[in-house]
Amino acid sequence: MSNVIAIARKELRAYFSSPIAYVVIGFFTLLFGYFYVAILDWFVRQGMLGGMGMTASALNVNQHFVRPLLLNLTVVLLFVLPMITMRTYAEEKRAGTMELLLTSPITDLQIILGKFFGALLLYAAMLAVTLVYIGVLFAVGTPEWKPIAAGYLGLLLLGASFIAVGLLISSFTRNQIVAGMLTFGVFLLLWVIDWIGTFLGPAGEKIVNYLSVVRHFDDFAKGVIDTTHLVYYLSFITFGLFLTAKSVDSERWRG
Amino acid sequence: MIEVQNLTKRYGRVTAVDDVSFRVERGEILGFLGPNGAGKTTTMRVITGYMPPSEGRVRIAGFDTLEQPIEAKRRTGYLPESPPLYPEMTVREYLLFVAQIKGVPSRARASRVERAMVRTWIADVKNVHCRKLSKGYRQRVGLAQALLHDPDVLVLDEPTAGLDPKQIIETRQLVHELAGTHTIVLSTHILPEVAQTCQRVVIINKGKLVAVDSPEALTARLHGATPIYVQVEGGDAAADLQGVPGVTRVAVADRHGSAIGYEVESTRGEDVRRDLARAVVARGLGLLELRPLRMSLEEVFLQVTTEEPGGEAAPAGEATA
Repeated sequence: MSNVIAIARKELRAYFSSPIAYVVIGFFTLLFGYFYVAILDWFVRQGMLGGMGMTASALNVNQHFVRPLLLNLTVVLLFVLPMITMRTYAEEKRAGTMELLLTSPITDLQIILGKFFGALLLYAAMLAVTLVYIGVLFAVGTPEWKPIAAGYLGLLLLGASFIAVGLLISSFTRNQIVAGMLTFGVFLLLWVIDWIGTFLGPAGEKIVNYLSVVRHFDDFAKGVIDTTHLVYYLSFITFGLFLTAKSVDSERWRG
Repeated sequence: MIEVQNLTKRYGRVTAVDDVSFRVERGEILGFLGPNGAGKTTTMRVITGYMPPSEGRVRIAGFDTLEQPIEAKRRTGYLPESPPLYPEMTVREYLLFVAQIKGVPSRARASRVERAMVRTWIADVKNVHCRKLSKGYRQRVGLAQALLHDPDVLVLDEPTAGLDPKQIIETRQLVHELAGTHTIVLSTHILPEVAQTCQRVVIINKGKLVAVDSPEALTARLHGATPIYVQVEGGDAAADLQGVPGVTRVAVADRHGSAIGYEVESTRGEDVRRDLARAVVARGLGLLELRPLRMSLEEVFLQVTTEEPGGEAAPAGEATA
């Protein structure tokens, strides 16, 4: 355990002593703010229409503001998370520090978990900054906190799944740019994989719908914590980390 | 302390190391010699557990690197060819991190780091970021990193590469100091270094082990094969040199004023240096210089690593000493 913490701290130090952490957090917060304002604008106009009796249902801050906000945010993750994960293994290999890690009395799994939690903590810090915006919401309105908490849990799980995939891809190459680009491509594919559902027929549709990472997120955004989705994300993460372990091990054998 | 048994390592179809066996006893310094691409680094990487062998096994203090990797790695310190530094950390931060993953107890970390920095003369740069270090410092921080957890076995891949002459001497001294308590394997292609630091030498070529012996024994095998340079003052000594038993050929190599330099060849296996000196002095001439024309170990190295078609096979040595 202390080895996992040591690696995670080392990863965080690397993020925060390079521009990566600041660029990523800044970029993410900025876009969050943009979506916040844009959706707020829409929400307010809908509210005015509602006041004039022109919409059927009553507006709810959680359903009509927070949910679309969080759903839009997931798009930003597509771009931001590859920037976090692309260096994890690629840079270690390029700099030769992989030799230090792999000849130290620690297991591959400890290294992987350390890197995973390092990236996850940076991502959590990103999300934590956005809580300021949510705080404003509480200052001026009366949203329910539980659905928002569920939404953030969903974001955390979705991001963790992406990070697991990002680690795997970074372990394939010693080039950060290649790792980043591939990761982005794979994320995007996981994103749109259910678009061809109807084309694949009923059985295929079921499979791609299940695989689609965002589809599982929608319930969280609504404020619902469904064990199906929890299991999906947790198994996605486990599988990603397992494949990373295999990738690192096979590299060892190949030399 | 280190036991390498029938180690073979293949990368795809390429065999980098082919059936190499040797042992290193506790406290010994073993020199690893070979031309570039001979398989030195690969062998070291297998010994340190960075990669598993394709065939054969390696044991560190009795622990198999494949079956008990953690135990084996706990006892191994490794300086790779390029020091594995994190550019964004200061030297001290870096060493503290390494101490942690090497399993140094948290209480002892600060003092161990301090001691390693003093031993490798890097205390003056402890707050400098690794990315700003010169090559010599990088190399020494790498060495400090390998020593931190006081391992039984130290594997050093070209520890003096990139150092200036003073640092090379200091590093050699450090290696000597460490030898009693640590078992050291070091690779180099600087031959005098091996003669000076190592008790035993392993010569490897094209992945195959070609010789294992002490530097003295290796050079003794070839004495006489190396031409000897003799510089004499005060007269022509060619006839006297030619008269020494075992000498096969004497040729004038150069002249500086009244000093004449000769190149003397002798039959293989005979050391004629004493007799040459005696012959010159007996004539009443001044003996200015007498030295083998090539470092004798260099000669060994060339002989065992150069293929001589139809010639005498390279001395195989005692593969498992």
